[in-house]
Amino acid sequence: MEWAWLIPVFSFAAAPLIVVLGRVLPGSGSFLAILAIAAGFALFWWVFAGFLGAGAGTENCLVSAHTGTLTCHYQMAWFHAGLAGAAGSVALTWGIIVDPLTVAMLGLVTFVALMVQIYSLGYMRGDSRFGWYYAVHALFAAAMLTLVLADNFLLLYVAWELVGICSYLLIGFWHERPAAKEAAKKAFIVTRIGDVGMLIGILLIWREVGSFSMFDAFEAVSSGAMTEGVTTVAALLLFLGAMGKSAQFPFHVWLPDAMEGPTPVSALIHAATMVVAGVFLVARVYPIFSAYDGDALLVVAVIGLITALMASTIALVSVDLKRILAYSTISHLGLMMLSLGAFGYTAAIFHLLAHGFAKALLFLGAGSVMHGTDELDIRKMGGLRKVMPMTAFLFSLGALSLGGIPILSGFWSKDEILLAVNDHLNPAFIILALLTAFLSAMYMARAMFVTFFGNLRQEMEHAHESPASMIGPMALLGVLAAVFGFVGFNWPGSYQGIGSFLFFHEAEGFHFNWWLGILSMILAVGAFVLGYLIYIKDRVSLEGFRARIGGLIPVVENKYYFDEAYQWVVDRVVLVFANFIGLFDRIVINDLAVNGPANSVHRLGIAMRLHVTGHVYSYAMGMVLGTIALSIFWWFRSVS
Amino acid sequence: MVDLVYFQLLSAALFVIGMYGVLARRSAVLIVMSIELMLNAVNINLIAAASHLGYRSVGEAFTNFDGQIIAIFVITVAAAELGLALAIILRIYRNRGSVNVDEVDLMKW
Repeated sequence: MEWAWLIPVFSFAAAPLIVVLGRVLPGSGSFLAILAIAAGFALFWWVFAGFLGAGAGTENCLVSAHTGTLTCHYQMAWFHAGLAGAAGSVALTWGIIVDPLTVAMLGLVTFVALMVQIYSLGYMRGDSRFGWYYAVHALFAAAMLTLVLADNFLLLYVAWELVGICSYLLIGFWHERPAAKEAAKKAFIVTRIGDVGMLIGILLIWREVGSFSMFDAFEAVSSGAMTEGVTTVAALLLFLGAMGKSAQFPFHVWLPDAMEGPTPVSALIHAATMVVAGVFLVARVYPIFSAYDGDALLVVAVIGLITALMASTIALVSVDLKRILAYSTISHLGLMMLSLGAFGYTAAIFHLLAHGFAKALLFLGAGSVMHGTDELDIRKMGGLRKVMPMTAFLFSLGALSLGGIPILSGFWSKDEILLAVNDHLNPAFIILALLTAFLSAMYMARAMFVTFFGNLRQEMEHAHESPASMIGPMALLGVLAAVFGFVGFNWPGSYQGIGSFLFFHEAEGFHFNWWLGILSMILAVGAFVLGYLIYIKDRVSLEGFRARIGGLIPVVENKYYFDEAYQWVVDRVVLVFANFIGLFDRIVINDLAVNGPANSVHRLGIAMRLHVTGHVYSYAMGMVLGTIALSIFWWFRSVS
Repeated sequence: MVDLVYFQLLSAALFVIGMYGVLARRSAVLIVMSIELMLNAVNINLIAAASHLGYRSVGEAFTNFDGQIIAIFVITVAAAELGLALAIILRIYRNRGSVNVDEVDLMKW
């Protein structure tokens, strides 16, 4: 288990190797990235086994007083900020935490990354920058794994920004397309706004605690060294970073545009791993959030609920298959945040894992559709199951799972969230959460039925099924999307459900609230039946409904005018301010302060150079006049 | 015996003529000749002063040859300098086809 730090190292090593050797290696070196992540995946099982076998007595391991779970902590010296031993110097360490949260995330990231990289072999075949694609993928995997292992805020922040830059590079992978370029910049800048808040939060904690170590921060919070006000502010600042990364309202605008990247990238980075980093961060520093009765968690819950509700309505009217999935991702991230805000730690991480598998599957399915038809507009699709049966089956499996159809994994994890919300928050939250659950089933039904069912269109008959390298990973993800939910049960024997492994302070057995479970089941099944009747059978017409809420439809279709609002702010506020600063810089700083002295010296030089004529007689004249002047001077001196 | 001041007036006149030549002439050769004129003005001054100071009174023998010796040095150095100057002028002429000092003005700015 002490070798867990090796997991990201493989991929870190692979990235530069592919860049340097990509030209000479077969397949542009893509196999290096796949081997590296496969090694990471293998090592994950070893770490997992080691962790299950470890106990409070194992070296470096103890049951943390702050989280209540078994936590193994390995660290080594990194460097001293300031002279070692001197006053004010800070010793920084490299360190990794291996606790249930990390183990779960390691499993998710290595598995999905491995699947997506294998899938990309088929999807990206023939791309001119095939090697570069795999190099950035490897770097991303390494950074993401470092992020989940990090034991201090500094290392976490470094990894956090590294995944951000990888996301930027991969969104803008086809940078010949202006839209991709713009989307990459948008993603980078929007998440960076949140990251600034996160950095301030980290520095605030450092100021209060004098250390970047998370354990020191937890200790300071529980001992009262960090007061209630500071703790809440620090938690909210960290949450700003999480909001940016996890595309929470009002920072959600970058994620739909990020779909300009290659689809496997959307599956890995913008569905299963990087975007859940925000949820992971909140879970990782949960002792800070939940301290002092969890004032900060209420903000988390409200933001999560707004995000979930808003994104699911947009997903319902979007016509681009990938964008439907993107808004669905935002909505589910909102649900995870809502769950964390409702003290549903286990439920949030459970849903994170279940959603990660299912959403990666859905994106890979969308990529398969795109590969086969070169089309993403669902209005132009229909009946694709006849030409792409495997894709259709697996996509439907993912859609049903995320939609919350019973016994598939999404049902169980969503149910846990609803349960946590019901137990800990105001009744208004559970009503809106149920509405979100219904909407999420509804848009999944729409995407699935409109794309794959009904009559096959003429122009889609040429579509073909994808190669095995793409279907294989989808099938493996499909298995998990179907059965992963069963880890939530308390199976006969000693296993007490995921709540006994992944928990905060108190282990939770499996629990199931019958009325809530049946209600959410009715909503999910009802949504799919309704979707079937609307989109396939045309039994239920939307016209009456549309007419009644007529004014609202354009608002939703325009994504609540968020982009327009931001554009207005950028044009009218940011750019005006920037222009003012720019003018100040140009006139005062540049012209006056920097060029001013230089210009005076220059002008003086021009004036002074005129005496250097180059003519011999003018120098001679100077000598003569000088001699005469000196003579007169001396004469006057001797006379007086 | 002629009074010293006349020699000095002659020397000053020669010197000023030479100086005028240096300042006003355009030809490098004439400038060098003017310099020679100035040097010779100085020589006259030196020898006049030396011969004047050399006689303490009429009929006495020379006791002091300093001025004459310096004058011989000046003549020697002037000859050497002239050789150098003419060589430089020759090179300028080869390079530029002219010895007009107005045209030799690269050493500026």
